[in-house]
Amino acid sequence: MTPRRSHSVLPGFGITFGFTAFFLCAIVLLPLTALVMRGASMDLARFVEVVTDPRALASYRLSFGTSMLAAAINLVFGFVIAWTLVRYRFPGRRIVDAIIDMPFALPTAVSGIALTAVFSANGWIGEHLEKLGIKVAYTPLGITLALTLIGLPFVVRTVQPALQELSKDVEEAAETLGAGPFHAFRRVILPAVLPALLTGFALAFARGVGEYGSVIFIAGNMPGLTEITPLLIVIRLEEYDYAAAAALGCVMLAISFLMLLSINLLQAWGRRRLVAARR
Amino acid sequence: MSISLDQVTKRYQDHPVVNDVSLEVSEGEFFVLLGPSGSGKSTLLRAIAGLAPIDHGQIALHGNDVTHTGARDRGVGLVFQNYALFRHMSVAENIEFALRVRRMKAAERRARRKELLRLVALEGMDERLPAQLSGGQQQRVAVARALAHKPQVLLLDEPFGALDAKIREELRRTIRTVQRELGITTVLVTHDQEEAFALADRIGVMNLGRLLEVGRPRDLYARPATRFVATFLGAANLMLARQGPDAIRFGDSAIATDIHHRLPQGREHEVVVVMRPEELEIARDRRLLTSGYIARAVVEEVLFTGTLERLRLTLPEEVEASRLVGVGTSVGASGSGEARLEVVRTQPERRTLPLQAGDAVVIGARHLHVLPTPLSSFVVCVEDSAREQELLSHPLLEQLVASMKTRVLVQQMASDHRAPEAGVAVIAGGAGAARRAAHMLATGANEVLVLPPSDAVPAQVGICWHGDGVRGATLAVGASLLRQLSAEAICLAAAPEGRRDSARGATLRRLLDARSEARATHGLEMRTELVAGEGIAPIADYIAALPAPMLVLGVTRATDVAGELAAFIESERPSPVLLVYRSATP
Repeated sequence: MTPRRSHSVLPGFGITFGFTAFFLCAIVLLPLTALVMRGASMDLARFVEVVTDPRALASYRLSFGTSMLAAAINLVFGFVIAWTLVRYRFPGRRIVDAIIDMPFALPTAVSGIALTAVFSANGWIGEHLEKLGIKVAYTPLGITLALTLIGLPFVVRTVQPALQELSKDVEEAAETLGAGPFHAFRRVILPAVLPALLTGFALAFARGVGEYGSVIFIAGNMPGLTEITPLLIVIRLEEYDYAAAAALGCVMLAISFLMLLSINLLQAWGRRRLVAARR
Repeated sequence: MSISLDQVTKRYQDHPVVNDVSLEVSEGEFFVLLGPSGSGKSTLLRAIAGLAPIDHGQIALHGNDVTHTGARDRGVGLVFQNYALFRHMSVAENIEFALRVRRMKAAERRARRKELLRLVALEGMDERLPAQLSGGQQQRVAVARALAHKPQVLLLDEPFGALDAKIREELRRTIRTVQRELGITTVLVTHDQEEAFALADRIGVMNLGRLLEVGRPRDLYARPATRFVATFLGAANLMLARQGPDAIRFGDSAIATDIHHRLPQGREHEVVVVMRPEELEIARDRRLLTSGYIARAVVEEVLFTGTLERLRLTLPEEVEASRLVGVGTSVGASGSGEARLEVVRTQPERRTLPLQAGDAVVIGARHLHVLPTPLSSFVVCVEDSAREQELLSHPLLEQLVASMKTRVLVQQMASDHRAPEAGVAVIAGGAGAARRAAHMLATGANEVLVLPPSDAVPAQVGICWHGDGVRGATLAVGASLLRQLSAEAICLAAAPEGRRDSARGATLRRLLDARSEARATHGLEMRTELVAGEGIAPIADYIAALPAPMLVLGVTRATDVAGELAAFIESERPSPVLLVYRSATP
């Protein structure tokens, strides 16, 4: 790790790297280490038993599955929203822009209560869906809905600047060269915003995995069916089984880390050509 | 015809960005659209490419109407100012994009790519990414990419804008060579007149959304028809002079000249004269001049620029000098007698007569060009100084003076005073304005501008006339006025409704004749409107209903103004009126 010797206005590599290392250690790594230590305080057999308990396995599937699905939904609709905000000028655009950030600001429990009010079997929308045989509240569908709401701003806010940077000329160039809308999107726009889309996806996914407040209201929390891992951890805590809670936490940590790392690698792979070229 | 535009209009928020442009570009021609930023030239180019839908008019490429054809199917190649390359694709992928879209075989694609890269002198760069290339190289790739699918028309939107001078020249040569080699019809948009001269077979000059003049570079430079083109294409000294039957008079000196256009009624007339800086001659003494004497002057500034020497001269403030208000390109609207001229001399000329600031000299003109514009200067006629400011700061007058870079004089005169000797008389609107205007016309004014208080520059200009004798003059004045305004031109006539159709038909024919005359003689495109009714009243009603109107009105009898027209000039919701008067008796 050799610093690049280029002059910069801001303080040099030594100081900034020192701060980076210190903050990562103090705020991120230290608590995580404590978690792992806590989990390691039990013996291996017990650890395996706790983390491979059918109830735990079901909760992983649910947590990661719904987070993945919600992030994927956000990938599509977040892109559409960002596109609309960047490319068109319409009355109320500023307001729409502000509304996007609402899930950031709202206490997640409030969003959970609000969603439950709307989608429960006797809610505004829920009662109509009920007639069609669709149940939202207290099903994985409801969890996905809550996680979609929570993750939306992450995708919109990461894709927006990338789209803004993508000059309209580029699309028009594709058009004059004979590319249809689909071809232009597939070959020109998508490759240009793909890194940003992946970042947005990763952020929305990570947020979804860790989400607790908004989900527990709409999930119904039936063990094995609609019980997410964070809730299971809380339940273990309430049973004063700190070791088991930490063990579950470790598993979440490991899976999340692996998934985020792979997304980052994918991104680096996709961006390599551009980055190499910018030197 | 390779490209043919017919009355193309593009509005943006009700404001015409491209205003009634008609143009024909022939096969293999290199056409340059030249104009300042915001003149609508890029929008026009985008309209040809199919990227900007037009509100009115027709666009045809090689005889096929493509007005409603999308950009994909027009078969044009477009090069953007900022290259617009696909940054995640290599040079090869960029160039082959259009071929891939057309599902061409890989081997053919490669052959075409090699050929294009040779054409733009970028052989061997195939696998580079755009970011690894210099600006000039990127633009070459963009040109190659635009030519890949063998378009019939190549469009270039300020392609050199982002490049430095040396690369610019090199790329300019490449583009010219490529264009010659392929014989492809090309339209290039630029604001740089040097670029236009270097590249163009023909140049079209645009301003305020209008295509003002089209011609070969040499012709446009030597004989511009409008003051905008005169000053935009190279430096020009514009001076007011008096034109007699066979000579141009500057103060007390007369220069014989060929006069190309007829004088109205043989009366000595104020005209705008164009003198290029290189056509002016400087001497110590009047007898040493080899060309026609214009005036005495004082050297204000000497600037050495290498091959040429640039001089700025001040014309002294004297009675005779104040008559010749010179308007150089560098000088804004100069209302005082403090006029400046720009002169360019070659080194041999400089050696025979070395000059420095403060020297007194005389100037002569080797070549003059009289602008065929009927509007020369303005004289604000007020009875008391209270109205003076109000009129001088009227937005319409301010806009005209700034755009024409001309002189405004203020004359305080009693209401029964004779009209000023030269220029457009400007009077305030309101009660008595019609009578006053009539008096002005009767005592020698050819044009009177009546300005009621207003805070907006007109956006619609109605043109109509009372009596066929004044039609030509009204159209000429209207065209000249509209070149200074970003407004819509509407040619108006009234015909009674319900009677036999022949009367309406005749009026409509007269309108259409006028429209083609305006287009042919003045390059002005107008919309025509036939309103129901008789006389001036229905036209006045039509005009009054427009959002920000003004009227150019031709009359053959001064009494018409005071009588029938008074109602319009002094109406409740008055708009500016420019009266054009030519006596019916020859």
